[in-house]
Order: sequence, then structure tokens, then C-alpha cells
Amino acid sequence: MTATTTTPGSATSGAALPRRPRISTNKVIAGAVIVAMAGFAIWSLAQIDFSLYNFQRSMLSLAKTIRLMDPISFPSVPDLVYLISLTLGVVIAGTVVAAVISMPIAYLAAANTAPNRTSRVIGRAIGVITRAVPDVILAMAIGLMFTLGATWAGVLAIGFHSIGMISKLFADAIEQIDEGPRLAIRAAGGSKAQEFWSGVFPQVFPSWIATALHRFDINVRGSVILGFAGVGGLGYRMYIDFQQFPQGFGPALGIAIVIFLLCVATELVSSTIRVRLLGAQPTRRTLGDALMRQTRGRRKTTTAATLSTADLTVEKAMRRPWNSSRVSSTVWGWVGILVVIGGFAMSRLDPNQIMWKYVWSTIMSFWPPSTGAYDTQTFVTAIVQTLQMAFAAALLTFLVSLVFGSLAARNIAPNGWVRGAFRVFLVIFRGVPELVLAIVLIIITGLGPQAGVLALAFGGVGLLGKLIADSFEEVDAGPEQAVRATGAGRLQVFGSATLPQGLPSLLGNTLYLLDTNIRSATVLGIVGAGGIGFYLTVSAGLTKTHPVVSAIIGIIIAMVLVVEGIASYLRSVFK
Amino acid sequence: MKSTTTSPIITIAGLTKDFGETHALRDVNLTVEKGEVVVLLGLSGSGKSTLLRHVDGLELPTAGDVTVLGQSLPALRPKALRKLRGRVAMIFQQFELVPSLTVLENVLTGALSRVKGPRLGLATWPASLRREALTHLERVGLLHRAYNRADQLSGGQQQRVAIARALMQNPDVLLADEPVASLDPESSDVVMKLIREIAAEDGLTVVCSLHQVDLALGWGDRIVGLRHGEVVLDTPASGLSKAAVMEIYGRVATTTTELTVIERELLADAPRGRDAAPALADGAAS
Repeated sequence: MTATTTTPGSATSGAALPRRPRISTNKVIAGAVIVAMAGFAIWSLAQIDFSLYNFQRSMLSLAKTIRLMDPISFPSVPDLVYLISLTLGVVIAGTVVAAVISMPIAYLAAANTAPNRTSRVIGRAIGVITRAVPDVILAMAIGLMFTLGATWAGVLAIGFHSIGMISKLFADAIEQIDEGPRLAIRAAGGSKAQEFWSGVFPQVFPSWIATALHRFDINVRGSVILGFAGVGGLGYRMYIDFQQFPQGFGPALGIAIVIFLLCVATELVSSTIRVRLLGAQPTRRTLGDALMRQTRGRRKTTTAATLSTADLTVEKAMRRPWNSSRVSSTVWGWVGILVVIGGFAMSRLDPNQIMWKYVWSTIMSFWPPSTGAYDTQTFVTAIVQTLQMAFAAALLTFLVSLVFGSLAARNIAPNGWVRGAFRVFLVIFRGVPELVLAIVLIIITGLGPQAGVLALAFGGVGLLGKLIADSFEEVDAGPEQAVRATGAGRLQVFGSATLPQGLPSLLGNTLYLLDTNIRSATVLGIVGAGGIGFYLTVSAGLTKTHPVVSAIIGIIIAMVLVVEGIASYLRSVFK
Repeated sequence: MKSTTTSPIITIAGLTKDFGETHALRDVNLTVEKGEVVVLLGLSGSGKSTLLRHVDGLELPTAGDVTVLGQSLPALRPKALRKLRGRVAMIFQQFELVPSLTVLENVLTGALSRVKGPRLGLATWPASLRREALTHLERVGLLHRAYNRADQLSGGQQQRVAIARALMQNPDVLLADEPVASLDPESSDVVMKLIREIAAEDGLTVVCSLHQVDLALGWGDRIVGLRHGEVVLDTPASGLSKAAVMEIYGRVATTTTELTVIERELLADAPRGRDAAPALADGAAS
């Protein structure tokens, strides 16, 4: 009873007390971490030789290559159709496999559906590990289980690697559902499985499809490099052409152009589906979404499925009318099924290509991890080089994106033309697959980290510039107007009102970029940019050196986890 | 109203619930007989929702016991608890329909405890259950909306769909947690009348939480007042005047300040709430 009498008073006084501002030690530490990271990035950039001499040399080698190579040419039409169908088939089949496997993993990982704490840890861990293993390395390593020219390695590698992203985004979507309907189903006596399929799944279905489509886009881009692991399709043809130095560079560039167009086309299709059918907001993050935003006004509203009330009976209502929404969902359902079946058919998976006697020994050859014939020094140098590439590229991207992104933001660009022009720049940057870029740059600058850094930086500007532009456009316009009302100039408004408000998301997005850069830098090593990726390529092709592959993958996972840990710490401090 | 001598449908004995430091319910004792329509009256935060959630086994008591349809909920195994939940239907303030499913599919989810395994899509439900669901939709006057997405309906319509979903459970008990708090007055009327009608026709036992004294007075057979997680009023509704309830319950506060004032008055003036309630009930009846 005494507790009751004190409750109202204490409740009001508790809410009224303002918190005293204090200098938190966390902010000091976080600040130091940022300074250290920026310092490492600057040092990395300085280490990578962008000297004038190097530049001249690159230009000369470019000129020489262009002079010696065959003219840019394309495969014959039947050949092209075959290559495209093979590439799309492998990507579709792999993405479908990943999307299906991701569902139970996301269920285990999402806080609101996870049966217990352990399952959450397991679910998240599977996500992190699958993301950290580059699909191309996996394809190289497991390629030994199949006959030459089989697509199994590609499908399985994409399927395995894509689980990481799809299950993570899907788990996030599950965590964001409205819990009410699920509670209602539990209250009606529904089991756990019924709760999920009736209360959770219908809410997350659109985001599941959208995530899979998004991953499909990424996988189409990534399929280029799978060719380097011997997976058939456009990438493999390009790899073969590149082997013929320098004459083959012409046909290889032709394939690169086809890949670029294919990327654009698949993005358009997947954006159309995401926006039109799933009701997702076009984000402009991809080329397709950008174009979809232009045509969105013409979207027709679905006619209501209401039945006519005139002498309606239960028996009459048993027959569901074929209204537009039912027709469209049925049609799209079948299209989806056909695409999946078609994808598997086009991927030309053949059980006879599996060499069963090598399957188990190949899997076991990865254990235990070991550094093999390399000494620690070699490894450390390689890791540092990979990190240098990632950090240097992130710094370049950050600087360019800050300018490009700002000028692409409605509230900063001096006029609509400037904004439009920079938006288009960013869209084009995003349109070029990084790997195609890297390969082209390697032709120009020769093997080495310069090409890797430039490729990563270019690709990053498309993404980070867009994220920066969006986050600047989302800031509260009030303070901007207030500062402008004091008579401040354009730059002053930017510095005093826009930038401070956009700073937390600027930091978050840059850290996200760094995270993806570390993974990408590894893969770039495979095409010749150096770093830890080089040793991965060298070791993946032989069963004997597979322990080195698992050791390197362990190192990559550790690096990514450290960066993710730092990122989430910084985000929590500067929220 | 038939009064039975058999065991009550709901028996709550010494129910206490703490959420960390907060005491949501304290030593609540309540029995509800078959066919009774009980209104739980109280301000927000008085423990009405928590009490209702205990009756459906969605919360477990910190202390005390909840017996529903002869089964003690805290002791039930998950499977038996799900079975019991199937016989106790619940409707919510925010309707809690699955927005992307059709109205018919939402009603059908009320039958999940009667089928084995998960269901996805209309075709996975047997025709007999679909027919039954449509009958319930007809009863709440929304048969023509069967194939609309649930989120295309107005709030009042959605709550009627939720009632149809509850009926789909063939329940013995109907729990309603502030069923009209998110609705406009007109829809509120429709929904409250519908619940009352259905309760009378099907002989359901109803426990409905409300915060508006006006609504409660004309509607329930019995009014149970809650304040700070304690029962402070338990009386038949007939012959009870609004003034009498107000005296115990306090005015309906709309702002925090008002709430605080009322709480202070009540704490200063009112003697032990639960002891006072029968006295007042007697007074009002005589």
C-alpha cells in the first residue's frame, strides 16, 4: 500500500528531470577509433603508388594493348543465347537455393522467432560465415568434386554465399513485423509453425522475394568472376579470351559489354517486379529502381475484390471471382514457378557430373586449417595489403562521394540540372560491375593493387554517393531554413545545418562501405590485384593446399567481424 | 440469464503479476459464471489487458492461479494450452488481422487449432471450413468482402472480421480487449451491439475490457473495476448509476494531469476499494 501512494509522485518527477550533459568516455574512445581508421586509410592511399610515372606507364601499356588487340567483337547469336542462358540459369538456380535455405536460418536468427538464444547465435553465425566465403573461392575449391565444365560448382557456390545476405535481410524483416496478428493466432490456439506461416510469413513474403531479387542482381554481376573458377557462361568465355594476350582482349571486352547490358536488363526486370508487384519503394539504389521511379505515376490501382451484394449467399461466395488482383497474382505465381524451373533447366545441372568418390574427401580436405608452406610474414603482408586496398578505396570513395552525393541531393544542389546530372553519374557508376571494371583496369595499369583500389573506389562511389545524397535529402529542413534565414550562404547552410544532421548516417554508410570493401578486396586479389585473395586463388585449385584456404577464410571472417564490431560500436555511440 | 450451480467458467484466485519492478496485477480474485457478460473497467495501465491475457494463457502468473473451463492454466503443457486457447477467443483493440491476407483467410486462421499443421493460401483449407468461415462473415455482415485484402477494410469492418475469426474458433469464452478504443462512435456502436448479440445467441461467456463508463453501463451484466492492478469494484450492472461508478472509479481522464488529480483524490478519499465496492453495490440496489 505504501508503494501505491508514492507511485504517482515519483512517476512525474522522474519524467521531468533533465539529464545532465556529461563528456562520455565512450565518445572519446570512438573518436580515437575514427581518427585511427582515417589515419590508416590515408597511409594506405599514400602507400599505393599513384605517381605520375606510374600513370604514364599505364597509359603506354593501355595504348600498346589497344594497338595489339583484335577489334571488339561479339559471339554469334546462337552462341550468345547459349552463354546468356547458362549464366542466368546458374544465377537463378543458385539464388533460389539460397532463398529457400535462408528461410529456416532467418527463422532461427530473428529475435522474435528464435526458439532460444543459442539458435540466434547459430543463425547469425551461419549468415556471417556464408557471407565471408567468396563464392568464387568456393566454386574453385568444390569444383574438384565435379567433372570438367559442370555448373554444379557455380550453383552451389552462389547458393552458399548468398545465404548470408538473404538470411540477414530476411531476419531483419521478420524482426520488423507487426507482432499483433501473430499474437492473435497464438491466442486462437495456433502452434508455433502455424504462427509463422499464417502470422509472420504473409507479412514478410514481399520482402523475402524482394531480397532474393536484389541478391539475384548482385549475383548476375558476380557471375563474371565465377568464370575465373571455371563455371561455364559469359564469365568463363571472357576468362578464356583474356588468356590470349593481347589479341583476345577485343572479344573479351565485347563479352564485358554484354555482361554490362545483361546487368542493366536484369536490374530493370527485378526493379519492376519489386516496385509494381511487391509495393516496395523504389530506392534509386540501383539503376532499375531509378528508372522505375520515373514511371511510377502510371501505376494503376487494383480494382476492389468486393463481391456484389445483390442476393449474395454463402454458396455463391464459395467461388472466388476472377478479378484483376486474383488474375495478376495467379499469373505472376505461375511466371515465378516457370522462371525457377527454367532457371534450373538452363543451368544444365546433371547428377552424372558429380564425382561421388571425391565429394567427401574434398569436403574433408579443408580441415584442419593451416598456413601450409607459407610463413606468417607472408600472410601478414598479404592481409595488410588487402586491408590497405579496402581502406584506400574507402577513403577515395568517401571524398568523391561527399562531393557527388552532396551535389546530387535536392537540398544542396544549386539547381535541378546539377542534381539530375550527378544522379545520372551515380547511376552509371553503379551500373558497371566492379569486376568488369577491375579487369579493364588491370589491362590499363597492369597487375597490382592500383587497379584494385580504383575499381573498388569507382564501384563504391555509385553506392556511397547515392546513400549520402539520400541521407542529406532526408534531414530536417527546419534548421536549414533557420540558418538560411540568418542570411547564411549556400556553403554555410550546408556546413551548419545539413552536414551536422547527416553526419551519423554518413558515418554508418561509410563503415558499411568499408565492410563490403574488405570482402571485395579479397575477391579482387583473385583477378590479379594482389593481397590475401591471391593466395586464395593459388591454394583453392589443389586438394593438398585446401587447409590454406580454410585458414585464409578464417582470417577474412575475423577481419569482417572486427570491422562489423567496430561499426556497431561506433553506431551505438553516435546514435 | 440462467444462473448455474456448476463450476464457474473462469476462476481467478490470488492472481499477482509483476513485470520487473512494475506490479501489473495484485491479488486479483474473480469468478465468471457461464453466460455472464462481464465488463472490466479501468483506466489505461490499470491491468485490464494483463488480466485478459492471463485468461488466454498468453501470460503466466507471478503468483496465484487462473482456471478456465476447469483447467488450471499455469500447469498446462504447451499442447493442452493451445487446445484450451482454441476454446477461448480473443479480440483486440487493433484488430490484429494479417494485413496482406484476404478477409476469408483471416477468418480461417480462427480454425487453426482445429487443423493439423500450417496453412498457406485458401486452397489449403478444406471446403467445409471455408463454408463455415463464410457463414460467420455473413453473420457479421461482411460476406461481400470475403476476398478483399484485410487492409482494404475500414477499422470497424476489420473489427467485425476479427469477431468472425473469433467465432470460427467455436469458442466457449470470448475475451475482448478494448474492442472499440480505436473506432469512431458509430462503428463502436455496431461492434458492441454485435458482440452482445452473438454472446446472447451463442450463450458465450464474455469478458470485455473498456475504459468508457458510459459504454460499460448500458452493455454488461456485471462490472468489475480495476485500479493499479487491483479489483476495486465488482457489482451487477443493473440499477447502477453512472454517478455511483464514477465515485469509485473516478472520472474518465484524458490527460496525464487529470489522471494524476483523479488518482490523488481517489487515494485520499476512497477507503480500501475492494471492501467499499460491495457496500456501494448494496446501496445502489436498495
